[in-house]
Amino acid sequence: MSTPTLSSTPPKRRHRGLLLVLLAPGLLALLATFILPMAWLFRASFSDSVMAAFGGGWTLTHYLAAVTDPFYWRVALNTLTLGVAVSFFAVLLGYPIALFLARTQSRWRGVLTALAVAPLLTSAVVRTYGWMVILGDRGVVNGSLQALSLIDTPLRLSNNSFGATVALVEILMPYAILAMLAGFGRLSTQLEEAAAMLGANRLRVFWRIILPLSLPGILTGALLVFVMAISSFVTPRLMGGGRVFVLGTEVFNEATVTLNWPLAAALSIVLLVLFSSVIVIYQRALRRLEE
Amino acid sequence: MTDSHVIVEHLVKTYPGASAPSVDDVGFSLPRGEMLALLGPSGCGKTTMLRMIAGLVAPSSGSIRLNGREISQIPVHKRNMGMVFQAYALFPHLSVAENIAFGLEMRGVAKAERVEKVKRALDLVKLTGLGDRRITQLSGGQQQRCAIARSLVIEPELLLLDEPLSNLDAKLRDEMRDEIREIQNRTGVTAIFVTHDQDEALSMADRLAVMSAGKLEQIGSPREIFDRPQTDFVASFIGAGNFLTGQTTGRGEAQVEGVGAVRFVGEAAHGSRVRLLVRPHRLALVEAGSGGVNRFAGRVENVVYRGQLMSITVAAQGVRLQADIPTHAGALPERGQQVTLSVAPEDVTLVGAEASPPMDPAI
Repeated sequence: MSTPTLSSTPPKRRHRGLLLVLLAPGLLALLATFILPMAWLFRASFSDSVMAAFGGGWTLTHYLAAVTDPFYWRVALNTLTLGVAVSFFAVLLGYPIALFLARTQSRWRGVLTALAVAPLLTSAVVRTYGWMVILGDRGVVNGSLQALSLIDTPLRLSNNSFGATVALVEILMPYAILAMLAGFGRLSTQLEEAAAMLGANRLRVFWRIILPLSLPGILTGALLVFVMAISSFVTPRLMGGGRVFVLGTEVFNEATVTLNWPLAAALSIVLLVLFSSVIVIYQRALRRLEE
Repeated sequence: MTDSHVIVEHLVKTYPGASAPSVDDVGFSLPRGEMLALLGPSGCGKTTMLRMIAGLVAPSSGSIRLNGREISQIPVHKRNMGMVFQAYALFPHLSVAENIAFGLEMRGVAKAERVEKVKRALDLVKLTGLGDRRITQLSGGQQQRCAIARSLVIEPELLLLDEPLSNLDAKLRDEMRDEIREIQNRTGVTAIFVTHDQDEALSMADRLAVMSAGKLEQIGSPREIFDRPQTDFVASFIGAGNFLTGQTTGRGEAQVEGVGAVRFVGEAAHGSRVRLLVRPHRLALVEAGSGGVNRFAGRVENVVYRGQLMSITVAAQGVRLQADIPTHAGALPERGQQVTLSVAPEDVTLVGAEASPPMDPAI
């Protein structure tokens, strides 16, 4: 027996044990709050008993219903459209702010960043109600326009997908800004200076240097907002006034109104599979871009 | 008259909120095709100086003229200067060739000509065939070459380099030092580089500007700066030195306390206090009791053997002298031994003189 082998292998073993002990609380929490519920959801989606989702036999009826009913296809398309529109505008409006925060030399930078994400301190429900006050038929916007006699009948700004989109854009913008800031790692003033030294004016510096280098951040922000928008429920429900159908509200309807838990579970699984594949494809593209 | 390519006059930069200017009334001129080193400790304003010439920092006042034309109001992208940044600042999303072609593209150079020029630039910096590489696939030295090629391909009026060798390891640094010099010679471009490394400045530059606390201390050829420093700062910043303080007793002669008469080169009013510089390697060992001027007899206090040279510290009458003596096969001085050092009057440089009331009018 030689000493080197004795001293070189055991520490690793010991570390592995320690690693497991340290990971255990987190893993247990994940198991209890995520993996077990997901397993239950998965089982429930195949259940042939409407109420007792635990028991019953196995059936594919709910999946067939979810996939063949054109209503659900329309809902899926609605959801997708909402997600794309919300992520587009949230990134479009958040990008200048994120770019400013990333590039500023101001000593207030920390404060400004905190301000930009401060809306996250209020719950989405509260902010949605805020938007209802602003965009409602007797809301701030319509009230002002009517008082100025610019319009006779109130504009339909809420209880439709326009209102839902506006509210979601504002609610999700801080996430977009945070994600973009995190993705702007390759931006540097020195690269901008180098481009200027080589004869690029400010517009060309933006198009040739800043935009390509901030693209990973833009895409990360867009993805995050997209995911949050398509899975959103409160805002489309409140701002849509029951007229905006997205997958989140549909799952809620099936589960609490129709009380068809297996169908709700099947819809959830379809949603999960559909959008996780979108995310995987998207991230693969993103990685290729970052190389 | 030499053709001055760059003329800087009374240039001042005070950053908002700063108590003292970063660059304080600096002026110099640089002939076409020469390479100037801006040398000084960190915070001396040399980088601000370079950035003002580049147009990346707006001067508070003063003028910068290039080819006789005032450029201090011209925006960066119209100055036609090449700049090699300390961290190279290569565009990570572009290939080596695309990086080099960037400046040509901005100038609207046609595709075919661009390809040709990029190829020649790659050859110039010995990166032939690496044009399709990604920046991350290049070594540190290759990135440096790519940055140089990118700034030279636009045929700049002036090449600026910010601490060009500081990011390279020691071996590569020597190689790139020679190479940058060679490229500059071959292209004939007027160049200014910033460094805090005196070896780099002495070996690369035609002309050296030493800066301290925003002020230009001295400008001259490396030899002038090393052998004839005009200020205390330059004398102590560049190279090692022994400083002697004394009072002049005649033309080129001073009385140094504890040592006696020391002959030097330089003009100082009779009776003024002077500071004299003696470089360690200009001191030589001589036979004890041999006649001549500038003899310092003393005891060897310390000996450091360094191969080609040995550094000895000699406590001579009132002063402690550092001397670098060439080594040879014979006997070398040892600690505790009595030795005599000598230095030629032309190797004793006057670095500072201030008039003081003569203590004894009879002298």
